[in-house]
Amino acid sequence: MGLIVTPFLLRDRLDLVTLMTNVMILSIFAISFDMCWGFSGIMSFGQALFFGVAGYVIALIGRDLDFSAIWGVLPIAMLTGLALAFVLAMFLLLGRRIPSAIFVALGTLTGSYAAERLVSGWQYVGAGNGLSSIKLLQLGSFEFVEGFEFYTLALLNLLVIYLVCRFIVRSQFGLVLAGMRQNEERLAFLGYRVQVFKALIFSFAGMAAGLAGALYSYHQGFIGPGNMGPGLSTAAVIYCLLGGAGTLIGPVIGTAVIELLSYGLSDIDAIRHFWPVVLGLVLLVIVMFQPSGLLGLVVSDRERIGSFGASGRRSTHG
Amino acid sequence: MADAITVIFDIASFTSVMVLIVLGLGVIASMMGIFNFAHGELVLLGAYTVYLSASAGLGLWFGILAAPVAVGLLGVVMERLIIRRFYASPIIAMLGTYAIGLVIREIVRGLLGGNYVSIPEPISGAFTIGGINFSIWRTIIILATLSVLLASWWMLARTPIGLRIRGALENPMLARTCGISTTRLYSLTFAFGSALAGLAGALIVPLYQLSADIGIRFLVQAFLSVMLGGVGTFQGPVLGAGTVGVMASGLPWLVPPVLADPLVFLIALVIVKLRPQGFIAAGRS
Repeated sequence: MGLIVTPFLLRDRLDLVTLMTNVMILSIFAISFDMCWGFSGIMSFGQALFFGVAGYVIALIGRDLDFSAIWGVLPIAMLTGLALAFVLAMFLLLGRRIPSAIFVALGTLTGSYAAERLVSGWQYVGAGNGLSSIKLLQLGSFEFVEGFEFYTLALLNLLVIYLVCRFIVRSQFGLVLAGMRQNEERLAFLGYRVQVFKALIFSFAGMAAGLAGALYSYHQGFIGPGNMGPGLSTAAVIYCLLGGAGTLIGPVIGTAVIELLSYGLSDIDAIRHFWPVVLGLVLLVIVMFQPSGLLGLVVSDRERIGSFGASGRRSTHG
Repeated sequence: MADAITVIFDIASFTSVMVLIVLGLGVIASMMGIFNFAHGELVLLGAYTVYLSASAGLGLWFGILAAPVAVGLLGVVMERLIIRRFYASPIIAMLGTYAIGLVIREIVRGLLGGNYVSIPEPISGAFTIGGINFSIWRTIIILATLSVLLASWWMLARTPIGLRIRGALENPMLARTCGISTTRLYSLTFAFGSALAGLAGALIVPLYQLSADIGIRFLVQAFLSVMLGGVGTFQGPVLGAGTVGVMASGLPWLVPPVLADPLVFLIALVIVKLRPQGFIAAGRS
């Protein structure tokens, strides 16, 4: 709820409003990764693929078709993410043989890396420079510029995605996901077609990532090859794991902590130069010592959906 | 004809680079079942050692000899402190090694100041056979790769330590019962894989400029090579690296270079999808 009153406190600090908008857009992206990894145990190392492609698609629609009405482009972006993720899921997850977790992780990573290489060499989409001065998002004749308007829009989208995800993970479907995460084999023996469930949630996550990508490129007015590569994909991993994978508020917290710290500390030269080193160390410490992330410090593992007071999800480190 | 030989030589030299990089990755993946995302950064450190040695006035050759040792030692430290916690869960291992790689890469980037540094070839120039020029350094890389391959194979197939490694690979539990310390073997294997990465970095740095991203550009291709060839054998990853190397250096002659890169990934993924156990399936398991 703090997010709603923030703009009134920051009336005269437009840069901070912009920063918060960015945090919320990236939060949607982080949640989309969390749906894959935290809730369903699919390591999607290429979540930025859907983010980036959707961003490019709406940028091209704005440039070539001169169209950016909000009721049209956001659904298009979501459909792009959905379709792309579905195709990838068909290839990676479905099939006669059950694919190994490593294959899925490397497959998504490869997809996002290949896409980055492809667009950075393709003149039509701006090659290495990406696409800039993207047509502003419109509602009727009203244009969303950086600031309060876009802040509200991002907040609304985040809320919708958050609530939809909350509904999904608390439904019967979510229980299947929780079961899949804990013991995939047993669930398969119970007659659930585990891979189909994975493909569905993967496609949904692709849709959310596509939405985030579209909002991001409208907000920044720019989309480049770096926005669909492994770099951003792993950023999502760090956001999500820092906050707490397997919870919905965790990715939001993780994104906010990292982005705000990075903004606040960017004035100090030494820290700015070695910021990625700090991120790497943070990730290393989390996977080694605190797999439940920041939230794990406050909330016990037992509170997780699907745990039912049992010993919680299996320990993630051996 | 002359053109064809030049192309073949190009393909052969790139493929050797690929094999050299993949060998270390494949050894670690086969033995411990983890995909080391920091492998590219170990290559980078090998290259960086050569740069350090050159700028300290010790010369390039000292750097090339020191690189495998230095990176191998670092590998031992990494394995002892961090990697061994991850053996039970390959996905977490990916995240952990990615984090290590990120830290190493960005520190080196900071030290290099984000610049590209050219390292000269220790033996430059070319020799001519039948009117066709061959770069001496590339020839040395091809020869070095072949000798490393031969030496590794000999070590695995003909020495007592190789016997233990094969035993631990086939059945770690039984190997432990027989009094073979798998913990020590795993450290050793990781050090060996790291040393190979260091050597690869030291050898290839004259061909590519030294920058923080020198290792990462090979990483995805190297992973695909290992998956393509099959984890758990010695020949598998080498064969996979050969395939990916030939595709990556041969395809740009056939299709527009922009498409060649993604096409290599696509073809490799499709093959892995159709044949998940790799070209050479691991023995009885």
